Amino acid sequence: MKWLAWVVAAGVLIGLAIMPFFVSNYIVTFAIQIFMWIALAESWNLISGFTGYVSFGHVAFFGTGAYTTAILVSQAGWHWFPASMMGSITAAALALIIGYPCLRLKGPYFAIAMLGLNEVLRALVSYFENFTGGGNGITLTPIQSIQPLYYAMGGVALAVVFLTYCIITSRFGLRLISIREDELAAEAMGINTAALKLYAFLLSAAFPGIVGGFFAWYSSHIEPIGTFPLLTTITMIIMCLFGGKGTVLGPVLGASLLSIFQEMVWARFLFIHQAIFGALIVAVVLLMPKGMLGVLQERYRLPRTI
Amino acid sequence: MPIQITGTMLLQGIVSGLLAGGLYAMVALGMALIFGVMRVINIAHGTLLMLGAYTTFWLFSLYGINPFLSLLISFPLIFLVGILLQRFFVYRVVGAPELSSLLLTFGISTFISNMAMVAWTADYRSVEFLTGSFLLGQIALSKPRLVTFGFALAITWLAFLFLNLTKTGKAIRATSQQRDLAQVCGINVRRIDLITFGLAAGLAGAGGSLISVMFSVFPEMGQLYVFKSFLVIVLGGAGNYPGAFFGGLILGLAEGLASLFLSAQLSEVIAYILLVIILLVRPTGLFRGRV
Repeated sequence: MKWLAWVVAAGVLIGLAIMPFFVSNYIVTFAIQIFMWIALAESWNLISGFTGYVSFGHVAFFGTGAYTTAILVSQAGWHWFPASMMGSITAAALALIIGYPCLRLKGPYFAIAMLGLNEVLRALVSYFENFTGGGNGITLTPIQSIQPLYYAMGGVALAVVFLTYCIITSRFGLRLISIREDELAAEAMGINTAALKLYAFLLSAAFPGIVGGFFAWYSSHIEPIGTFPLLTTITMIIMCLFGGKGTVLGPVLGASLLSIFQEMVWARFLFIHQAIFGALIVAVVLLMPKGMLGVLQERYRLPRTI
Repeated sequence: MPIQITGTMLLQGIVSGLLAGGLYAMVALGMALIFGVMRVINIAHGTLLMLGAYTTFWLFSLYGINPFLSLLISFPLIFLVGILLQRFFVYRVVGAPELSSLLLTFGISTFISNMAMVAWTADYRSVEFLTGSFLLGQIALSKPRLVTFGFALAITWLAFLFLNLTKTGKAIRATSQQRDLAQVCGINVRRIDLITFGLAAGLAGAGGSLISVMFSVFPEMGQLYVFKSFLVIVLGGAGNYPGAFFGGLILGLAEGLASLFLSAQLSEVIAYILLVIILLVRPTGLFRGRV
């Protein structure tokens, strides 16, 4: 069975790799968006799905990456790719500064501290106008071709999914899960929970940093309100939850299905699409808190490592 | 850039800060009750506040009802909305991990705000009822702020009377101290949850009514108060309701003073750093825990 899974995975990857040569730009753009959501949902999964610490302001790292990239590209003349890598490093550095004190907070307090971090970053970005253009934001030159971005975004999505697979099959992953199940017991067994939480947090911040950089380059304009919306955090969480948090393929499934749903349904109800999303959140939380994969795993004894 | 800060300005900052703080205290008391009794962070608290504000706005602009009189309508109306939310949705996530309750209340909040926008548009509206200010020496006291402060204090006082003197109020406090023990003592905690949520929603709605006299009314107006209310809960200590009251006053005071020295945007940063430091150093709040 295992080799079959690898063959299917390889087939899908090859298919995705050659896809841009055969389909319209619309599809490629749409695929970039799906990749972006996969990377974001899977990153959130790394900290919150495994350790149970709810990062309720994860878009902060996305925004940090976006602003770092936009500033480097527009003011220092960097190429977008290294600038995005730099965005990832900045996001991870922020995660180090914030995570060191905040990961000691338990339960709802950590969630609110992260929510606050996001609001603070938005306020700071609006305040330091010289760097960030204040409320007007930064405008970059529009991109000419989206193919490079397709491979870049796809690469990041693949990297974070693969990393999650490596983590879930490793001792590191088991230790993270033990923190989620019972932190006190994990500590009593000699697991250095403080350090492990911080590592997971750094990893889960680095990827949104890159993705934010790509996003800035792709949308060629960023401003504080559109770059740090709470709604983006919630979307990552719901995608992850819908597919199944704490699994490898759950966020992939959730991000793909919800993106498609969004494209097909929400776009037609412009005025009430937030209300539809609100109702969807309530439905997911109340009706399927374990997500699709979680339900399947329980019912059909699927392996833990999917 | 630095302006000379005179004694009058300082006094003015303190007074306006305290006036704003009275309102924070009242809105935050509701959120503190929900958090204390059910361990649910009610992200929809700001939305309930918005509904209260619209109630007052419509009663005022359609029927010319005095905004302060409309408290008698907005409190019970939003109380009822709260009861319905608790009865049909929130009760399912009481005792679940915080992710469920955060997401659920966020979903409810998004839904209601969007519906408010569809029904009433996103225009900024205002209730022009009281304007101008009293002059007390060199300090200007804006009339709407002073009157709202008075109403906020009175309502908060009534809420405390309810919590301290009535049997239901005592049951609410008992449940927030020890849920299981309260249940063993014969308190129907489900019913207490329902009343708590209703009361908290009513306080938010009344807060919205009062705020509508001072600031614009629009569908997203309540978002601001969610984080602030949580900060107040942390200042006062979870489950410490008098603490939440003083926490509200302190937050108002801190903001009033910070606005003298810093731009409004940076005062948010200060508030955040304050939150994290208090959570780390004094997780039980600034006051010694008398619940």
